[in-house]
Amino acid sequence: MLNNSGKKYLIRNEQFNKKSSLVLEKIREDLEKLNQKMEVILEIQKTGNQKTIPSLPDASLDVMTLLSMPDHLRKTAMTICRCGRATAEEIAEQTTRARAVESAYLNQLVIMGYLKKERRGRKAYFYIDRETKGE
Amino acid sequence: MNNIIAVHSYKGGTGKTLLSVNLAATFAKQGKKVCIFDLDFRAPSLFSVLKAENTEVWFNDYLNSTGSDINKVLVDLSSRISGEGKLFASLANPATEAIRDMSAKDRKWEMRALGRLLSLRETLLKEQKFDYLLFDTSPGLQYSSINAIVTADLVVVATTSDRSDVDGTKRMLTELYNLFEKKTGLVLNKVIDPSANAKKAEISNRIKATYQVPMLGLVPCFCEILRAEGNLIFVQDKPDHPFTKILAEMARKIDANEVN
Repeated sequence: MLNNSGKKYLIRNEQFNKKSSLVLEKIREDLEKLNQKMEVILEIQKTGNQKTIPSLPDASLDVMTLLSMPDHLRKTAMTICRCGRATAEEIAEQTTRARAVESAYLNQLVIMGYLKKERRGRKAYFYIDRETKGE
Repeated sequence: MNNIIAVHSYKGGTGKTLLSVNLAATFAKQGKKVCIFDLDFRAPSLFSVLKAENTEVWFNDYLNSTGSDINKVLVDLSSRISGEGKLFASLANPATEAIRDMSAKDRKWEMRALGRLLSLRETLLKEQKFDYLLFDTSPGLQYSSINAIVTADLVVVATTSDRSDVDGTKRMLTELYNLFEKKTGLVLNKVIDPSANAKKAEISNRIKATYQVPMLGLVPCFCEILRAEGNLIFVQDKPDHPFTKILAEMARKIDANEVN
């Protein structure tokens, strides 16, 4: 049996846990926002222009290209090959890496010209444009 | 799950076609719905092994055109197999012109071909309830073979004890299959006189030490196979032969996901 002070201690402890998980959630959100900003900065640095992020029109994501990629990008590229079309979150589920990490890799692959990106509302979809490239 | 299997090797003549045809036939004999594909566009042989010389539709056609229907290039060979299973094949066009055309394809074509191979998972496995798709590939680092490897769940690697084959296979394990994070099952073919169990165990240990991967199967050198001159679907026509039993054990391992 707990006395009154014991109960109070438990309630306080519970409140503290709730608060700390809220704080952690806030930190996570802020980090994601920061990461997204970093991605934009990186893209701007590379292209010098915020509006046009050019992709190399001739880059094709064929198997020899996949073979020559660094391991971390190959994993992402292979997963999108299998999925066809996916968000960073869906890719992250498959690779068991963080969403923000996959988002950065996917954007890198877009800049390299291997993937296309399409925004639908708040979501960004990544895909390989196999059929329309250079007949 | 090992529903899509690529049979590959470093060198030619290691027994890829023999293994893939008989593995497909073994699955079909067990009542499974199976399709075997000839991805050796440079030296097509399945049309001949499966005696489907009258074929007029080819797997090349499926890879070549956008929106083409895979069902139009499947040949039904179920009547060749006993039991309730289904065996289909999609063959590579052996015409010299077709071989020339396939060897002149560029990277973009190969990228699209990969897309079409990957879509077989949806059309054949999910929609048409095939149990197994087997790709018989071209040896070494060829576009069509790597496309098949990337698409596959399991790569069955055929190898022999020949020195040049051992070194090349070792390299492919680390520099090809591993990079694509593929499950591999090694089949040592043309083993001379492995009849004693002690010798089998010794070979198996040696293989594990050399390749760092477990063995899926060990196939002795059978004169009967050479004598058949490619005229038989061996596991169908010789149900009591040791080769048939070895293939049945490989199929069991693959089915039970006991590879790696």
